[in-house]
Amino acid sequence: MNKPNLSARGILKDWGITNFRVIDKKAISEITLGASILATGGGGDPEIGLLWTYKVLDEGKEILMVDPMDVPDEIQTASTACLGAAIVLTEKPPSSDVLSLAMERLETYLGRKIQATIPLECGGVNSPVSYAAAGEMGVPVIDVDGMNRAFPELQMTSWVTHGMHSSPTVSVDNRKNVTVIDTGDDDVLAETLARRAAMAYGGISWIATYPLTGRQLKETSILNSQSIAWAIGRAVMHARQEHLDPIGELLKSLKEERNVEGFRVFRGKIIDINRDFGSETNKGFTLGTVTLDGIDSYKGQTATLNFQNEWLNLRVDGKVLCLPPDLIAILDSETGEPIRTDIMKYGYRGTVVLIPAHERMRTSRGIEMFGPRHFGYNLDYVPVEELNTNGGDD
Amino acid sequence: MEEKGQLRVGFDVGGTFTDGVLMQGRNVLSKAKSLTTQDVTGGIVEALDEVLTKSGANPAHVAMVSLGTTHTTNALIERRNLNQVGIFRLGAPATTAIPPLTGWPEDLKQAIGGSELVHIIRGGSEYDGRDIVPLDTKAIDDACRSMKGKVDSVAITGVFSPIINDHEERAAKIVRDVLGDDVHITLSHRIATISLLERENSTILNASVISVMQRAVKSLRSAVRERGIDAPLFIVQNDGSVMSADYAVDYPIFTVASGPAASVRGAVYLSGIEDGVVVDIGGTSTDVAYIVNGFPRESSITATIGGVKTNIRCPDLLSIALGGGTIIKHDGNDVSSLGPESVGYNLVRLGKSFGGPLLTVHDTAVALGKLQQKLDVFKTSYATHPDKIAAVPKPLINAAWAKIKTTIEEVIDKMKTTPEPVPAIFIGGGAMVVPKENIAGVSEVLSPDHFEVGGAVGTTIAEIGAYAEGVVDLDIDDRDEAIARVTEHAKDNAALAGAIRDTVEVIDVEEIPFTYMPGKREKIRIRVKGQVLR
Repeated sequence: MNKPNLSARGILKDWGITNFRVIDKKAISEITLGASILATGGGGDPEIGLLWTYKVLDEGKEILMVDPMDVPDEIQTASTACLGAAIVLTEKPPSSDVLSLAMERLETYLGRKIQATIPLECGGVNSPVSYAAAGEMGVPVIDVDGMNRAFPELQMTSWVTHGMHSSPTVSVDNRKNVTVIDTGDDDVLAETLARRAAMAYGGISWIATYPLTGRQLKETSILNSQSIAWAIGRAVMHARQEHLDPIGELLKSLKEERNVEGFRVFRGKIIDINRDFGSETNKGFTLGTVTLDGIDSYKGQTATLNFQNEWLNLRVDGKVLCLPPDLIAILDSETGEPIRTDIMKYGYRGTVVLIPAHERMRTSRGIEMFGPRHFGYNLDYVPVEELNTNGGDD
Repeated sequence: MEEKGQLRVGFDVGGTFTDGVLMQGRNVLSKAKSLTTQDVTGGIVEALDEVLTKSGANPAHVAMVSLGTTHTTNALIERRNLNQVGIFRLGAPATTAIPPLTGWPEDLKQAIGGSELVHIIRGGSEYDGRDIVPLDTKAIDDACRSMKGKVDSVAITGVFSPIINDHEERAAKIVRDVLGDDVHITLSHRIATISLLERENSTILNASVISVMQRAVKSLRSAVRERGIDAPLFIVQNDGSVMSADYAVDYPIFTVASGPAASVRGAVYLSGIEDGVVVDIGGTSTDVAYIVNGFPRESSITATIGGVKTNIRCPDLLSIALGGGTIIKHDGNDVSSLGPESVGYNLVRLGKSFGGPLLTVHDTAVALGKLQQKLDVFKTSYATHPDKIAAVPKPLINAAWAKIKTTIEEVIDKMKTTPEPVPAIFIGGGAMVVPKENIAGVSEVLSPDHFEVGGAVGTTIAEIGAYAEGVVDLDIDDRDEAIARVTEHAKDNAALAGAIRDTVEVIDVEEIPFTYMPGKREKIRIRVKGQVLR
């Protein structure tokens, strides 16, 4: 299914680009760690995407990343991702050609060649998977994505809030079954259909989605989101090696890379997890509330977080400190490793870090599509900077 | 006088010492410490002879011999005496992006026969029980023929086998038919849970140490028989319970956390406390475990064994650098830090109590008059130079003692899941040199008798732990029926490991939902325990 005639270097040469970054094993492990932190409790287990990318690199295939502003306006790109149940993915990793097949069928449907991949979101699964797919296909990865965090649904992107659409989306499985989803401007229906296809396949699907031109992606993506994830991941790994405070290093890198302040607002351990199946049966997400009891300087305080695969909001002693789409990460205080909603357990200990969402996620359309009211909270969105005027611990 | 059926012998093989005890009911009749030997078995036999001699007990009255051991861990770390493993994965056309042995250290890969023995076969299941594709039995047959004479152990891992094990069982039958009865077969659904790569790694590691365990069991059996003991042999598994030696030969990977788990169980047994924290204080570090219903709480973090990621269930331990030999760094009378360095076994040379230059945790306890007995390990008094201790300023001693106390309080708090105070059991050689009064978050501190051989005592608790898992769709299945079904399966597993079937009871029911998937699908995991002896 791979196209040996294509190579990422050849494509960049055609575009006249000489400035690009070579992604090696160290780079992808740093990008993936950073993306897992930005995944705000969701995004799944990084292991499979990482091992897949390592294998692609071991086979001598190159993975190259380019800056979006260098990409020609007229070229065709698309996003590649895994959509479905994280637990199924950990049990049933893909064959090497799933995403090439999805891309190929999308090309057929569009009648245009796709020359680059764009990651969909920041997450343990979908970040490295985009790189593995790019390596398998011999196309470059563009330094953007549609969220700079993880969200539970396909339409929750800066692309949609800026007038783009996920359709046509091609969804495939390991047995080479192919589903084409083309719902025009109904991005919510596309999400519903894509998820149904994943279920019918056995819980996991592999998609090529959001066909965007070079120009469209410059205007609507979260630009340099890969660099942001990379910088964060690099800072945390550096802190581990040098025995520095990983959270302090993370916040520093955020300031350097994005020029925004993150907030370290709580340290505690999980004392209660209340997973709620009830009313959301047909939505296909795990909802619930987790409670943390403060430790160290936060002793006596209580933090509660709601989650729908990802952390959604944070209250400390009843006071709201973060609302979607701003980011919440609970990180192991010693290692900076993110604690995910799908594997968290009683007794886990971590530091809560808040990060302002990217500006392109904070438009009025964005707040409407994935702000507090969308997730059922009767609250107006207030940016995390305003909710934490004292600046947290840092 | 004791009778047949009343005595139990247990051993805990540690890095330095092998401890042995002879038990009658809850009483320790005799105890022994020997140096752990290279072959492990030698040290056990020495400790066995010592407990028998000291007690004068009749070996014929021993009903159970058990041990916590490092045989398998050592073999894996040293890449020694490993089986040559034929590896089957049933999962193609899915899963091929990440073949078996990906990410393994090269030397370990070579030590078990390498990638030539890997076969990815078309087969495996979906989560709902459908075949991914029908099992390619011909390919298994062909692969077995190609491996004849090259492998002595086979690992079979099928996609979703923890839910549907049919493909693994069918593959095993073909392997048996072609390669014969002498080849060991490990099926992944008997080893670990969902998460293919980690379960496959666990399965392959298990297949690679079967001969190691087989030889250990064989030599121990003949050693105990030579001493007139006619009793079944049990091995401690990772949850701290035991399994029959025959079962351990099939599942040696379940013994990798045998030692620490046995210590926790020993603390439980000696103290009678079933829920709380166990604080095991050594010379250089302290391990804290949380006990629930008498068993160590499991870690949810993957366990790396010999450089390979696995999903073997191990106890959740939090270790800190605080022990009896930890050096107290100070600036005048202010304590700047506790360690992390420790004088370790050089305490008798470097500690102030022994005329040395350094102030240690041990020395603060001496200064405060907390020690009245000699230290077993050092075969000396707790202090040979009381003048040196008397010269240490009292405020410094008090500050150090307070710092040790808060350090212990913090680590206990980190392991707790509720704010309510819980009992704490302090064990290990360092337990007598740390504060035990008014510890925050703790209702009472116990340091039961014989705590220095707690691990060996822990192996003699005649209980067997087991678990089973299943996936249910609560939109279709009845929750109670599903739980009952998985419970029966867990009880079967306990019986297989050596428990008396009708003594098996449930200790924990866990429900884990599937995320990113519509419906009410969840994984049910049930842990049970049963008795070895009536």
